[in-house]
Amino acid sequence: MSITLDQVTKQYAGVPVVNDVSLDIGDGEFFVLLGPSGSGKSTLLRAIAGLSGVDHGRIALHGRDVTHVAARKRGVGLVFQNYALFRHMTVAENIEFALRVRRMRGRARRQRRQELLRLVSLEGMDDRLPAQLSGGQQQRVAVARALAHKPEVLLLDEPFGALDAKIREELRRTIRQVQRELGITTVLVTHDQEEAFAMADRIGIMNLGRLLEVGEPHDLYSQPATRFVATFLGAANLLLARRSADGIQLGATTVATIDRNPGVSEYEVVAVVRPEEVELAPTRAALTSGYLAHGVVDEMVFTGALESLRVRLDDGAQAPLMASADRAGHAALQVTRTQHEQRDFEVRTGQSVAIGVRRLHVLPTPLSSFTACAQSAAQAEALSRQPLLAELSARMKTRIAVRVEPRLGVADAPCEALGDFVGTTVMAAQSDCAQRAEWLLRRGAKDLLVLPDQAPAPQRVLIHWMGDAARGATLAMSASVLRHLPAEAVYVGIQPDDAKATPPHGMRELLDARSEAQAAHGLDMRTELRFGEVSQELARRLEESPAQMLIIGVTDLTRFAERFRALLEGGRWPVLIAQRATP
Amino acid sequence: MSWRKPSVLPGFGLTFGFTTFFLSAIVLLPLAALILAAGSMHWSDFVHVVLSRRALGSYRLSFGASLLAASINLVFGFILAWTLVRYEFPGRKIIDALIDLPFALPTAVSGIALATVFAQNGWIGRWLEPLGIKVAYTWLGVTLALTLISMPFAVRAVQPALLEVQRDLEEAAETLGARRFYVFRRIILPTVLPALLTGFTLAFARAVGEYGSVIFIAGNLPMKTEITPLLIVIHLEEFDYQGAAALGVVMLAISFLMLLTINLLQTWGRRRHVQAAH
Repeated sequence: MSITLDQVTKQYAGVPVVNDVSLDIGDGEFFVLLGPSGSGKSTLLRAIAGLSGVDHGRIALHGRDVTHVAARKRGVGLVFQNYALFRHMTVAENIEFALRVRRMRGRARRQRRQELLRLVSLEGMDDRLPAQLSGGQQQRVAVARALAHKPEVLLLDEPFGALDAKIREELRRTIRQVQRELGITTVLVTHDQEEAFAMADRIGIMNLGRLLEVGEPHDLYSQPATRFVATFLGAANLLLARRSADGIQLGATTVATIDRNPGVSEYEVVAVVRPEEVELAPTRAALTSGYLAHGVVDEMVFTGALESLRVRLDDGAQAPLMASADRAGHAALQVTRTQHEQRDFEVRTGQSVAIGVRRLHVLPTPLSSFTACAQSAAQAEALSRQPLLAELSARMKTRIAVRVEPRLGVADAPCEALGDFVGTTVMAAQSDCAQRAEWLLRRGAKDLLVLPDQAPAPQRVLIHWMGDAARGATLAMSASVLRHLPAEAVYVGIQPDDAKATPPHGMRELLDARSEAQAAHGLDMRTELRFGEVSQELARRLEESPAQMLIIGVTDLTRFAERFRALLEGGRWPVLIAQRATP
Repeated sequence: MSWRKPSVLPGFGLTFGFTTFFLSAIVLLPLAALILAAGSMHWSDFVHVVLSRRALGSYRLSFGASLLAASINLVFGFILAWTLVRYEFPGRKIIDALIDLPFALPTAVSGIALATVFAQNGWIGRWLEPLGIKVAYTWLGVTLALTLISMPFAVRAVQPALLEVQRDLEEAAETLGARRFYVFRRIILPTVLPALLTGFTLAFARAVGEYGSVIFIAGNLPMKTEITPLLIVIHLEEFDYQGAAALGVVMLAISFLMLLTINLLQTWGRRRHVQAAH
């Protein structure tokens, strides 16, 4: 491995900018770190270069631990967005800088310089000053300069940011060519997904300091694991679907899946439909793919090779739900069509069309949607507007539905499933909310968020599960939440007081939890071990500092309200409960 | 008016007229009067005044001490500016404000203060005395006073240039394998050199013209600790206006020559890089 990052964390003023990033980059690989601005990708690159230290974790280059090695001894070449050429030196002096530092002889130096200038096609420019070159030429000089001392790793920090489209493309090609010719391991940081696709062997996508997914461009595009990646890499329609024993039910259509699992009860999932996988036809019968719904063309934009449309879905019981609809519930599907498709079926704005889906991908994400549940419509509405919930749903691109349960918490209400609870149910944390929570959990709510009034965005998420059946669900849910919040994850292991004498057992549990989180969910978390009664210890831990959140898995609802009263009615922290019965 | 380039800002005629008038009234006319006053002297009288041993001694002290003071400020002014620009520490704002104090203080006050501290029985002078170092009433005292009053010029000239040195450049040099001192010598220094020279020039000009603070600490012994501005005042007190004007003209000439040389040096330095490109 050329570059190995192990749980690298960097904080500014207590806020993690790079959060527990682990990554291996192979020899000669062209790796692209992609993410929106502020996602921590540049900070990570600077950490690899040695220009900023890390607070936690380890960095190794070619097997050599360089975590505490100065930048000048790391043997990396770095190219900056604004070129950072030495303006008082000529092109030749700039390129030879690293060679002069190393006291290379004049003749060898000149030879190496000629070689580099040829590599970036700038022969004969030796005596120019940077100010006399165009932006693209300056960046070529910067690349040559960074390669002069034959570094083992080349790092590029948004190198095309300041260039116009045509030059950018040309320079992209040059850099890719140089990289192949030298076989040098390269990391490029960018926020431009097109650039990432054009250059990368593999892409790593960062958001809020976390490395969300790593993979080859095609795999990431066709099979993203998270909503963020699905929508950040190209356009995507996110639809809510039902996963049942037969397959995936999306609106009026059921798509059969290979992995049938009879016996599993129905649950909600998020389906990704790329705009180019949507088919439009005059009638349902004319569709060649699975029918989704009818709709009306709202907007058409001609973009050259492609036509881009927005199609509003008709309302109706069978209509599929958009995962991210606006408040009024207006769901519009993004569609792109090739010239060929346009010729086959011409549409105009306002026209009614039948919509089909050629291909869809189901996200393995556990948090599909939120439903704010309260005794009255007004309370439910108010709950759905809570800032933390609104922020979470905006970041996760999920919708918030509202549900009124007039008899919520009434003890003698018949204990049977009331319609189904899909997605995550949200209730307000208030007095006797423990009992309401039990009421909802017993009536079929599987995932329940107990949300205090005006709860702040958490900086730390505590994770715990009671009973192994809930472990997988708790970890999956934690991973999903933490991908969307800039918070640190802490698994709290709790052993009964009398187990203090035999600590090895507790430690094993912590290590197992951590490695499972890492392996199955890509979630890096810290671990803590405490002794005592579970809900008391958790409440005590939550008391310790503000802005914390708890994600807890439960299997057994016996005396739930009583056991969890202290935890839920303490009131200042949100608690997300995952209920999974022991089979 | 063919030399007049089209400009977004109107009023070239007005502003140029004002510039000429202002420069003439405030700078050129008084200087012309000075030269005229000296010109009314007989040539041999002029030479006699200007090349007297006392006058020659005063030139040496005035320009020597000024050059020394400006050189000291070149080094320490740079360090001061560097500290203020590059580091965050408690009291940084206060120190930043203190730099300007010598600007605001009446120079006589600075002179008296220095004389008090560095006199043989002063706070610092009494510790230097046993070591055989006399500051007050020697050329050392003159240099010290000139250093104090010209210090803000050096610091303030370099500060903005240092602010502009991009961190990227230093980081780029570091990843290329350069040690700190190498980065300083090859990257930072060349970038701020013009500003350093400007600071040096300003500090030197200020020191040459200084009078108030020096006379209190210099002791004013003819040939030894007498600066040229003082000699001019002595001539004035003897109602020898022509002698004073003659000395003034010499100071003017030497100062002008030195400033011109530094300016030319700067221009040459700037042009060298542009020429290197062809």
